[in-house]
Amino acid sequence: MDAVEKANSERQKKWTKDQKVGEGTYAVVYRGREVSTGRKVAIKKIKVSQFKDGLDMSAIREVKYLRELQHQNVIELLDVFSSKTNLNLVLEFLDTDLEMIIKDRTLVFLPADIKSWMAMTFRGLEYCHRNFILHRDLKPNNLLVASDGQLKLADFGLARDFADPGYKMTCQVITRWYRPPELLFGSRYYSAAVDIWSVGCIFAELMLRTPYLPGESDMDQLKTTFRALGTPTEEEWPGHTKLPDYVPVGQFPKTPLRDLFTAASADTLNLLSKCLVYEPRKRIGAKEALNHPYFFALPNPSHPSKLPKSSNMASTRALEEVDGNVDQNVAGPAVKAAAPNRLKRKLNSPGDELASRSIARRLDFSQPKQP
Amino acid sequence: MSMPAQVPQIASPSSSAKKPLYEGSTQYKNWRFSPEKLTRIRASLNAAAVSVIRNTFEADEPGSSSNVLFLTADEEHLLVKLYISKISQLCGHFRFPEEVEATAVSYMKRFYLKNTVMDWHPKNVMLTALFLATKTTNNPISLETYTSHIPKTIPSDVLDLEFLVAQSLGFEFAVWHAHRALWGIWLDLQSLPDTPPDQSQDIYDTATMHVRASRLTDAELIYSPSQIALACMSLASPAFASQWAGSKIPSLADTLQPTIETIKSLITQAGHPPDVESVRTVDRRLKLCKNPEKVVGSKAYLAKKAEEERKAEEKRSRKADEIRKAMENGDPFGDELSWQEKEEKIKEIVDEDDND
Repeated sequence: MDAVEKANSERQKKWTKDQKVGEGTYAVVYRGREVSTGRKVAIKKIKVSQFKDGLDMSAIREVKYLRELQHQNVIELLDVFSSKTNLNLVLEFLDTDLEMIIKDRTLVFLPADIKSWMAMTFRGLEYCHRNFILHRDLKPNNLLVASDGQLKLADFGLARDFADPGYKMTCQVITRWYRPPELLFGSRYYSAAVDIWSVGCIFAELMLRTPYLPGESDMDQLKTTFRALGTPTEEEWPGHTKLPDYVPVGQFPKTPLRDLFTAASADTLNLLSKCLVYEPRKRIGAKEALNHPYFFALPNPSHPSKLPKSSNMASTRALEEVDGNVDQNVAGPAVKAAAPNRLKRKLNSPGDELASRSIARRLDFSQPKQP
Repeated sequence: MSMPAQVPQIASPSSSAKKPLYEGSTQYKNWRFSPEKLTRIRASLNAAAVSVIRNTFEADEPGSSSNVLFLTADEEHLLVKLYISKISQLCGHFRFPEEVEATAVSYMKRFYLKNTVMDWHPKNVMLTALFLATKTTNNPISLETYTSHIPKTIPSDVLDLEFLVAQSLGFEFAVWHAHRALWGIWLDLQSLPDTPPDQSQDIYDTATMHVRASRLTDAELIYSPSQIALACMSLASPAFASQWAGSKIPSLADTLQPTIETIKSLITQAGHPPDVESVRTVDRRLKLCKNPEKVVGSKAYLAKKAEEERKAEEKRSRKADEIRKAMENGDPFGDELSWQEKEEKIKEIVDEDDND
């Protein structure tokens, strides 16, 4: 056996798969353990053989960036190994995500809790941006929460390095409800500010307990955004009418954030408004956000271990652990309850849904050993 | 691992309290070597391959290995270098950005610190490394387009090795390049208050040529990208280089000088493609000493495949048996099924878990 093969099979032996917890068109996720320590992990098995162009781009992106990143608020990639024609990513096991927490009506959020989640989100994001990496798919569903309450950025399947000035990037990124107007207008040159907009939407959602800007189509997303924040003027966002996909979507007046966020403090609304500035160059940066008075004012952010957390999620969570490429239409009470919104949040193509249905049926067969 | 003094990354000085970004990279952690270490690694890979192949030959036909002239580590290296030089030709043909080219070159070098030429011919590895680099640098093209532009190459030539290459790289796809560091130095120079007036583009272009030449050497496995970039700038214009060093890293500029000189002579001495004639001789000899287990269709190859298949089959039937037993032991789902359905289900389950 080659040295490389040998090293791989030794790696493989370090981990065991216990139970399949989710399956999609792109990957199967298992809950597993590190053999030597018993530490819980999630193993994401990516089926490579089905791609005619070999290793697919989202797997490559995810591996590339997670290999380089080490931060308390970024999901840890513990190991990578291959088994025949599959790629296996060993990720730290995380119990739940912010979307599930937001949707759990039994939980009450204090302003200090929201501040804590926001601080952790900005820390993780500042670290990515400091390393010149754009996440490009931030949403509550991709902010995972560990058993000790630490929040971690996950799903780097759409991430990329900052492009050099003058190099085009695709504008088909970020799940619609969290997508900034410059991308909706087709901007091909953008910056870290796109992620900040998403964080702004998440911030608002934490307060509202429902998505802040739930557009039904790309066009409706613009309308929804402008209805909430007012139609941008040439003065506040110079040049936006020249963007490739610019369309006028009507004139909406600016309503103060205060009208909707009645209980929020002035600092809170100030930071929120700075995340949702139309002109990307004037939008607050992650580092600047961390130094915003909001984070220094009382109440102090809650300690992660004291944050609200669903009690019965642990078993179903593991399938959430994966990214938007894995479908979640697999049996599990918490998942089913959330189904209607879930589909809309995905970047998936409609075909994925069909594929996963047949897979879900097959999943039932995989448990015959259980009495 | 003895490393010469590091040039601090050209990052913002405000982050000085934190360690430079480069030091958090997998490149810094796993892909830097001393020249001696490189020699040792290559020698031991070569020795291991020779002994394995010798045994395979002997198993096939006793006494057959005695006349074989195996490649030396240096000869392997020569062949790799030739194919590294072909990467830039191919990239020119496809008009791939420099990032793709530089990344593919790094992949080749890293691959042959884990593998030997006698197992995997550099031509195929080169094609795979380049294709992988297009994806990891976010410049993907379809495999079909890729192979249709390369004579005598079909998609499977590239795909068959992709996994092996990715594995050999430790799935560490991100590479820090000297040409990026050079661009940073160039930008810095333009904003220095007292830069020499004659800042012609020529100097940058010449320095870039030296960076390209450095890709044919071991420089990137020994020195940091910014050290290489500074050496290349120094080759193009010693005045610019020392001015940059004096303004950016005044305390280090002197200690760094010997390192820069070493890199400069490495590039001037080794930074050119090898003589094709001498490589041709090596390649001809390689045909006689490559590992038969890796030659598709050979006796040894078939024997190895058959053995692998036998093991896999064993595992499958073991699994199927377990499942069948579980079903026959009064499984509530199993009872409802006809025999045929049951067989199908077993097959499905086995296939499903086949790859674990």
